[in-house]
Amino acid sequence: MDLVDLIQEKRFIGQEFLAWLWYKSEERGGSVEVEGLGDVLVVFEKHMLLEYGEGEASEKVICRGLQTELKEARAGLGLGKKPEQARLRLARGDYEFGVTLTATLFEFRNVRLPKTVAAADEGTDPDSIEGQILERIALFEELTGLVGELFRMFITIRASDQWPDELLRIRAWVGEVEE
Amino acid sequence: MGLLSGSASFVRFVVEGEMPDRFWDFVADRVAANSFQDIDDSLDEYSIGWVSVANMFDAEFAYSSYAAGDYVVLTMRVDERKVSPAVLKKCVMKEEERIRQEKQLPRLSRAVRLEIKERVRAELVRKSVPVPATYDLCWNLSDNTLLFFSTSKKAMALLEELFSDTFDMTLVPQIPWFSAIRVLDGEDAEQRLEELRPAILI
Repeated sequence: MDLVDLIQEKRFIGQEFLAWLWYKSEERGGSVEVEGLGDVLVVFEKHMLLEYGEGEASEKVICRGLQTELKEARAGLGLGKKPEQARLRLARGDYEFGVTLTATLFEFRNVRLPKTVAAADEGTDPDSIEGQILERIALFEELTGLVGELFRMFITIRASDQWPDELLRIRAWVGEVEE
Repeated sequence: MGLLSGSASFVRFVVEGEMPDRFWDFVADRVAANSFQDIDDSLDEYSIGWVSVANMFDAEFAYSSYAAGDYVVLTMRVDERKVSPAVLKKCVMKEEERIRQEKQLPRLSRAVRLEIKERVRAELVRKSVPVPATYDLCWNLSDNTLLFFSTSKKAMALLEELFSDTFDMTLVPQIPWFSAIRVLDGEDAEQRLEELRPAILI
């Protein structure tokens, strides 16, 4: 199968990951326990894009707002839409990240890294530049590592016999908003 | 914007291919052979190649090396002379009118108009300053993953080609499906993934 077809056929994996992560983050008030890492703060905020259907029959809904509880987006889930993009706040220990994660291609957009020493305070000689580069890379990899571990949790459950029970819990959570 | 400063957007790839012995010598040779060649003073329309992440004018890596710890860090620079379609259309119309009046013709043939369009386009391209675009990447050598700091499909296609030309290795985008294959344990992992079908969440 060529890559374009594969992306299209398997896009549900990324979309279900975002839906599962949203459910998981609300299950314990914004905190997800990750094996080997401990508690990771996962907050869905400000911006979400949901999709329903495929090709010409597809519908998209964008929900955004500064202090939103994403009620419209939750209602969208209740209508069978799946999240295609979500703005997340992720934190572990002293590090807090902002990222817009896309489901189909797993892009990390508009990444906000934790504040460290401003680049202007550091030198421009090759050693200082290498230090700045390594520090930034370490932060980017901390973020991809966090998302990677959350994804590992999801796909391990998704491809196991625990999934039917997890799906029932997700459905119950999706249904809560309609009541 | 990207690796060094500001807010960043990126995608992940896995690098597939054989790592040569004497890796850093190999990188030095290949990066030098595929470094960016400036076209400001030539008539070339297009140039693509590697520069330093710290300075887009540094194609010899004098200010900052492409080696940072266990990472290769590079910027892909693409310069292209572009002509806006509106400018091209305007100049072609002017030139057609000039020739029509000069030769006192009621109208120009299709062949003549095509020749005018091609000539005007070539002149405008020559006069235009190349538009630069830069895209950073960092290649983690310990786990052979690569972050590319752009989500543009066009830039990703250019990267895959330049990377393959430079290092004889392939980049595989880490879409959720490939990530799933990579992280799921067990011999039957791929089989279990193949059997997954979209779930209904309501």
